[in-house]
Amino acid sequence: MKKQFAVILMIFMGFISLSGYFINNPTLRNFVDKDANQWYMIIAGFAAFLGVINLLQLHSKKIIYKKKNWQYSMLTLIGFLLMIFFGFIYNNTDSAIGAHLKNEESIFYWMFNYIYLPLASTMFALLAFFVASASYRAFKIRNFEATLLLISGVLLMLGRVPIGALIPWWAVVIMYVSLVFAIFASKIKDKKIFFISYLIINIFIIALIPFAINSLGIDLYTFLSIPLIQEWIFSVPATAGARAIMIGIALGTIAQSFRIITGRERSILGD
Amino acid sequence: MKDFLLNRNMFTFGITPLIIIVIYFLNPFTFFVSGNELSFIFIIISCFTFEYFITKAKNGDEIFLRPIAGMEAMEEAVGRSTEMGKSVLFVPGISGLDQIDTISGLVILGYVSEMTAAYEADLHVPVAVPIVMETAKETCKEAYLRKGRPDLYNDDMVHYVTDDQFAYAAGVNGIMLRERPAAIFYQGKFYAESLILAETGNTIGAIQIAGTGSSSQIPFFVTACSYTLIGEEFYAASAYLSKKPTMIGSIKGQDYVKVFCMILIAFVVIVSFVNHFNLTDIDVSTIFRINIIE
Repeated sequence: MKKQFAVILMIFMGFISLSGYFINNPTLRNFVDKDANQWYMIIAGFAAFLGVINLLQLHSKKIIYKKKNWQYSMLTLIGFLLMIFFGFIYNNTDSAIGAHLKNEESIFYWMFNYIYLPLASTMFALLAFFVASASYRAFKIRNFEATLLLISGVLLMLGRVPIGALIPWWAVVIMYVSLVFAIFASKIKDKKIFFISYLIINIFIIALIPFAINSLGIDLYTFLSIPLIQEWIFSVPATAGARAIMIGIALGTIAQSFRIITGRERSILGD
Repeated sequence: MKDFLLNRNMFTFGITPLIIIVIYFLNPFTFFVSGNELSFIFIIISCFTFEYFITKAKNGDEIFLRPIAGMEAMEEAVGRSTEMGKSVLFVPGISGLDQIDTISGLVILGYVSEMTAAYEADLHVPVAVPIVMETAKETCKEAYLRKGRPDLYNDDMVHYVTDDQFAYAAGVNGIMLRERPAAIFYQGKFYAESLILAETGNTIGAIQIAGTGSSSQIPFFVTACSYTLIGEEFYAASAYLSKKPTMIGSIKGQDYVKVFCMILIAFVVIVSFVNHFNLTDIDVSTIFRINIIE
């Protein structure tokens, strides 16, 4: 009965929330936009106490039973109690309790500014190093897709820094030709033929491009400027891929919501 | 014609949505919000398509679901943890229950905890939002009960860490480095902490299976994790894992809606192409206008 009630409530609220966007009724719209959200915030606010109780229970148990790594729990509890003490009880400033949290002279403010913020910033800064190690792994040439990723990655990186704009057009041509030859390298057995053809094609294309631009009036600079290539990769293939994923996510969200609203997906209620 | 109209499925899934859409367009007594027609049509078409395939699946039609490596690997990951005598870590993201990703993550948690109950592996679920903690506790408790192993469940397996993003990342990283779990699941809504978590998990050599609807975090998970459920795969996971025909039917419906979207995209491309050569003057933006009221 308890579960059935929960399912009925879930279905009812789901339909009400959805209809709020399509039925022209200010009361319904107000409920969906404001009241329902406020209800959620109130429930979530009360749940915060449960979180705090859980944290205290878990770490107290660890300390009492001297479980593995109980010393860390001690630090957690000390930090927790100190912040409560300086936030709710002790006020060393002229400001009233509550307002003193923003007073630069208060101990709470000092702890927040000089302990909490540097720690959070340190964690955030770690991201730079993790990006480097993740990129290194992703750019390792294992297959065709990884090679494409490496090429786009290098072009994007070069295009975003000032040196990218200084790379001359003929160097970009050599890069293109090298890439094509890299793809077919395994197919050509004779290395002598490989290098001679590589050299000839490079010279031929470099000689041909000024002719194509001046005589035929073909605009090739878009393909030969690293910042422009970078811009194109970013706005065309990358955006296309991201949009494909976004459409998939949107459809997945609709399907999942449909399963929940119609009461078919009940595992969240423990069914 | 009479038989055709009397066909129950034809009426339910063909005529009913049409009637609803017509009523919306007629908008009697200005009952409906005008300007939301496109969203409404799309939602109605999607819902009736899902329902049609769910009914078909219920009636015993076989529905093929392509194998998804990430989901196949879930059981393997839990099994590996059991063999190594290590725990399984499940990270449900840092968002609340108002995000569909968190709900999907908790649904997957239900299946993962069934596996840990069956394999008798330790499960560890650090959470960032208290309300998610309560739901996750309930989900795990029921999963252990379903598997007939309530004795293995303990309240501390799901615990609150903090609601601060980087403090949570630090806390979960600490758990990873101290406990060294053999399998880590990241299923939910993630932000900048995704790479911090996934890279730490990678350094300890755990099998990592990620799933998120945060499109900006998917590349990080793809790079650092063994398997990643990308976008819609993540939402389909619960249907895939449940193996219930009603759930799988909705996935098939989702694929048909995707085909519909592809047709619309092709239409826009063709119209834009024709417009480009001044052969027609159709303004596509007026057809696909969305006017969600503020």
